[in-house]
Amino acid sequence: MEIDLSRVSIRPFSLTDAHDFLRWAGDVRVTGNLRWQTFTSEEEALVFIRDVCLPHPWRRSICIDDRSIGFISVFSESGDDRFKAHIGYGLSHEYWGKGIATRAVSIAVTQVFNDLPHVLRLQAFVQTQNKASQRVLEKIGFKREGLLRKYSCIKGIIHDVFVYSLLSTDLLPLP
Amino acid sequence: MDLNETQPTVVVSSPSGRISLRPMTLSDVDDYMVWATDAEVARFCSWEPCTSREEAIKYITDSVLTHPWLRAICLEDDRPIGYILIMPVDKIRKEIGYVLARKYWGNGFATEAVRLVTAEVFKEMPEVERVEALVDVENVGSQRVLEKVGFTREGVMRKFIVMKGSVRDMVMFSFLPSDPFRY
Repeated sequence: MEIDLSRVSIRPFSLTDAHDFLRWAGDVRVTGNLRWQTFTSEEEALVFIRDVCLPHPWRRSICIDDRSIGFISVFSESGDDRFKAHIGYGLSHEYWGKGIATRAVSIAVTQVFNDLPHVLRLQAFVQTQNKASQRVLEKIGFKREGLLRKYSCIKGIIHDVFVYSLLSTDLLPLP
Repeated sequence: MDLNETQPTVVVSSPSGRISLRPMTLSDVDDYMVWATDAEVARFCSWEPCTSREEAIKYITDSVLTHPWLRAICLEDDRPIGYILIMPVDKIRKEIGYVLARKYWGNGFATEAVRLVTAEVFKEMPEVERVEALVDVENVGSQRVLEKVGFTREGVMRKFIVMKGSVRDMVMFSFLPSDPFRY
């Protein structure tokens, strides 16, 4: 089913997203690759939105018709490294393969460089078998810099990952 | 056991015997100054060249002697010509760094030290899955050291590290316990 991408938007989370949040954050197909736990109740979701999502320096809900179907998070490293920020995202399984993540992350990236002007480098680490996520980043213009072996430990499993980056200067219009 | 006996200093020699590794001490200050005052050596390091013996003593006391894993690289006469260190990144990853006095560049000493320390890390710390090194794109000499040991060059990370106020592109290298050493 084709989705009209103008229905896709990003916005901060709100407590009223708890029910919709659970639908995708309770799905191990979405959370398996992430450091996120797999949520099991609306109560858990509510607490997480309140205690983690709302105070987060830059986390957005990916929405369709303003209903939450996923998330995008950007977090800067600290101190001298605050010019580097990590981007991560997840999307409800029923909405995979329709260009939604590409649209949402593309919007996010432009906003991030505006909202966090100290950020010069956005980076993403994607597991080698996660081809869909690699395509999202490539379509947006992230550059694949290399394969980092045994780089990421997620839920006790050590993974090889591709490292992708987008620099604030990469988005400048061509002369 | 004789309770007055002091712990022997842990010294490890490379198979060729050309270099050995041992903890640094304050009495190494004059040899330390040979490389620490050299702007060519400091160029790709995070520190500025040292300008006095007092500064050197302070740096050795505050940063070198307190380092969790740092070894002087010594020639036959047991005098340091540089040092090599390991930094924890997380439970499974360590980062390796090294510096050598310019006079001794080009002789394979850093290569031997890196090979020795990498092997030692995997032996002493079996939970370590990856030893990595980040080298400035312009520091070709240091890239060569890692390639000669058998590290894999994984790619250039753009605008990855701030060094002396400027954001640098860095080459990422890694060595895994299953990788073969090059000789």
